[in-house]
Amino acid sequence: MSTEPDRLPLTVIGGYLGAGKTTLLNGILAEPDGQRIAVLVNDFGDVDIDGRLLASVDGDVLTLANGCICCSMVDGFAETLETVRGFADRIDRVVVEVSGVGEPRKVARWAHLPGFTPDGVVVLVDPLSVRDRATDRYVGETVVNQVAGADLVVMSRSDVADKADLAGTEAWLSVMTDATVLQSPLPTAVLLGPGLRNLTAEDAPAPTSPPHDHVSISRHLDGPVTRKSIDAWIRARPGGVVRAKGLLKVDDRPDDRTVLQVCGSTTTVTVDGPWDGGAEAVVAIALPGTPRAALVKWLNLLG
Amino acid sequence: MRDGRFLAVGDPDDLVATYGGTLDRTLADKVLLPGFVEAHCHKDTGGLWQYTYVGYEARTDPDGRSWPGCTTFDAVVERLREADRLLADPNEPLLAWGLDPIFWSGDRLDRRQLDAVSTTRRIFVAHSNMHLATVNSALMEAEGITPDTVAEGVPKDVSGWPLGELQEFPAMALAGAAFRSFFGRQRSDEAIHLFGKSARNVGVTTLTDLGTSNLLEEAIVSQWAGIVNHGFPTRVVMFHGAMQNGTVSDETCAAALVELRKQSTDHLRLGYLKLLLDGSIQGGTARLRWPGFHHGGPNGIWLIPPDQFADRLAPYHRAGLQVHTHANGDEAVDVLLDAVAEVQAAHPMPDHRHTVQHCQLTTPGQYRRIRALGMCANIFSNHAWFWGDQHISITVGPDRAARMNAARTALDLGVPLSIHSDSPVTPLDSLHVAWAAVNRLTPSGVVVGPDERITVAEALHAVTMGAAWQLRMEDEVGSISPRKFADLAILEADPFELDPVELRDIPVWGTMCGGVLHPAAGVGD
Ligand SMILES: Nc1nc2c(ncn2[C@@H]2O[C@H](COP(=O)(O)OP(=O)(O)O)[C@@H](O)[C@H]2O)c(=O)[nH]1
Ligand SMILES: [Zn+2]
Repeated sequence: MSTEPDRLPLTVIGGYLGAGKTTLLNGILAEPDGQRIAVLVNDFGDVDIDGRLLASVDGDVLTLANGCICCSMVDGFAETLETVRGFADRIDRVVVEVSGVGEPRKVARWAHLPGFTPDGVVVLVDPLSVRDRATDRYVGETVVNQVAGADLVVMSRSDVADKADLAGTEAWLSVMTDATVLQSPLPTAVLLGPGLRNLTAEDAPAPTSPPHDHVSISRHLDGPVTRKSIDAWIRARPGGVVRAKGLLKVDDRPDDRTVLQVCGSTTTVTVDGPWDGGAEAVVAIALPGTPRAALVKWLNLLG
Repeated sequence: MRDGRFLAVGDPDDLVATYGGTLDRTLADKVLLPGFVEAHCHKDTGGLWQYTYVGYEARTDPDGRSWPGCTTFDAVVERLREADRLLADPNEPLLAWGLDPIFWSGDRLDRRQLDAVSTTRRIFVAHSNMHLATVNSALMEAEGITPDTVAEGVPKDVSGWPLGELQEFPAMALAGAAFRSFFGRQRSDEAIHLFGKSARNVGVTTLTDLGTSNLLEEAIVSQWAGIVNHGFPTRVVMFHGAMQNGTVSDETCAAALVELRKQSTDHLRLGYLKLLLDGSIQGGTARLRWPGFHHGGPNGIWLIPPDQFADRLAPYHRAGLQVHTHANGDEAVDVLLDAVAEVQAAHPMPDHRHTVQHCQLTTPGQYRRIRALGMCANIFSNHAWFWGDQHISITVGPDRAARMNAARTALDLGVPLSIHSDSPVTPLDSLHVAWAAVNRLTPSGVVVGPDERITVAEALHAVTMGAAWQLRMEDEVGSISPRKFADLAILEADPFELDPVELRDIPVWGTMCGGVLHPAAGVGD
């Protein structure tokens, strides 16, 4: 049993110049975790694509051997997303890189266009410089707004920053934003969200890349869930959960597809159209060390 | 005149005696000025007239039809009904523009009024600031805009139904095919022809497109060349907007523009570059120095990171290209001036003429630096009329409003000056632009910053020679001089004999461009 997602999840990646966006995108393209990802960038100079990995080049679209594609946004958002929608049968999700002075939260508004569904705003920060940047006379507000608008903040350079920098930045971030704060490197499924196709696999845990010991769990549901149990589920979210996604029927909207989504600090419940006959399921990913039992109990709240 | 140029200028009898030829008295009762040069407008000026105008102010379209302002909801509905009747294909969306709810004291148009126009045809009405649109129920149904739509910028009524207003581009794009058609048709041949007609109606013989086209696309250049090089009523100077680089580096882009420049003709000029630093003052997105916006809103946005700006500028500067940079706020101007100082120190380039576009809050100190750095200023003087009252009471407060668009200061400090409309942001009309700089009147009757007014002669210089200098066309257009192109603005009254407050009311007979007469729409019918 498999459902083709009719809406491509769209994740926005932001952060000031040098925060590590390109490095992160290159990592995602190198290890897409079984997902075919379309990466939208302002210019190709950003992504370092090894010639041998290129399958084809067609104007503003590069296709890689692993099925991922890379598009430049030369024609603006509306037209680029229109182009990407044309590839919906051969990609699983979309990542948009926002310019260093852009506001990722504003860019995420584009994810409501038909054919797409928002899947989180991830903002990178450099733990060594972000606090200075935030007081810069020219770009201070921009950096503060980027962080404040994030669902998930990722500190890059955790390999070179010392503990004091990381702790100091984390403390500062906890004042500046409600977002969940994590350190790189992170598996693609955490950065971008779990693959929708994982939802329809039998109750096996969704895969994550081997070096990461994030805890992942999924569950099938059978029949409409009550609105009350969804509210309870939202309130009972255990610590450590970073990502979750559910496609289900709700008792007061039994003919429609309701989408539950957790990205970092943000939970949304939306209806994205009539039920299409696919499986009702939910998947969650939590930080290493999160007790699996707590996650099982949490998903069981959905009846 | 010979071969589209002025051969000599002087006493008619002497000229005929010396050069032969005949004396043409066709324009004997007109007042001839050098053709106006609009150094900052956009090609969308013409294209919008492919759609129905529903703005508050009366406007005349490129074909000379005057459209009274729609000052009530009923007037908007009536105008749209008429347009609906004229559209034969029931599936074609009705597109309209210019709506300005700011004048309707709180009341906003929504889908219900538009449903009174049609319950079956999709209707898309763009607001005058182009950041909002209102659509009808038929469009909402066709595009799936429902109570389940959770997108930001889609306000809803108490029952949870979207009102039909779509705020900012991500929400406007929900209007699907109608949205794409509204912006897509701006690239039509018809849009270019309307642009030329609009210019002819107001005495403009040199137009610009400040970077709304991607000139690295061969198809766009050949479309413009195919039209502008064949009997078009104006010259056109096209700027590449380098935000749109996409797949190429600035170095590659600079080299491409140097090559492109070689395709320039007498009518079409290529190889110009535009960069953008900040947003707009009325939109709250310009970058202001202390103390920021009078309304207390947050400071604006950067479109290019300030600490990258010099690196973006450098490749174009080194290639010998002139760079025009959009900088509205004074803080954005600081970044621009620092960057020009940096690239000049590394690669001194005499007479580069890098130009500050808009410079609305530029201070006397900054004008001194502009002069010292060899730069030019193109000031957005029309703001006094179009937003002067709002600048006084809301955006920057009375003190800075009086010092905004400081043309007097710029001239006194020796800065090469032009003034512009930024059409379609304000209407294409050089006499209006000059009138605004001379009078600095607001609609409520206030003279905002009388000390920054300039004379009629200075203002007319700014929209002719001043603009020609900034486009590096000072030896070809901008004055009635021997060997320059025979370009004229042909007026029905002498601007130097009127009360300066009547400057914008002077009827325009039309233009001459390269010796060819182009009567304004309606003239001679
Ligand atoms: N050591 C280390 N360097 C990093 C990391 N992330 C980024 N960098 C480096 O930081 C610089 C800026 O990163 P980049 O990805 O280009 O940032 P962007 O401007 O946000 O795209 C580059 O030299 C990267 O190699 C990280 O996690 N660890
Ligand atoms: Zn402009």
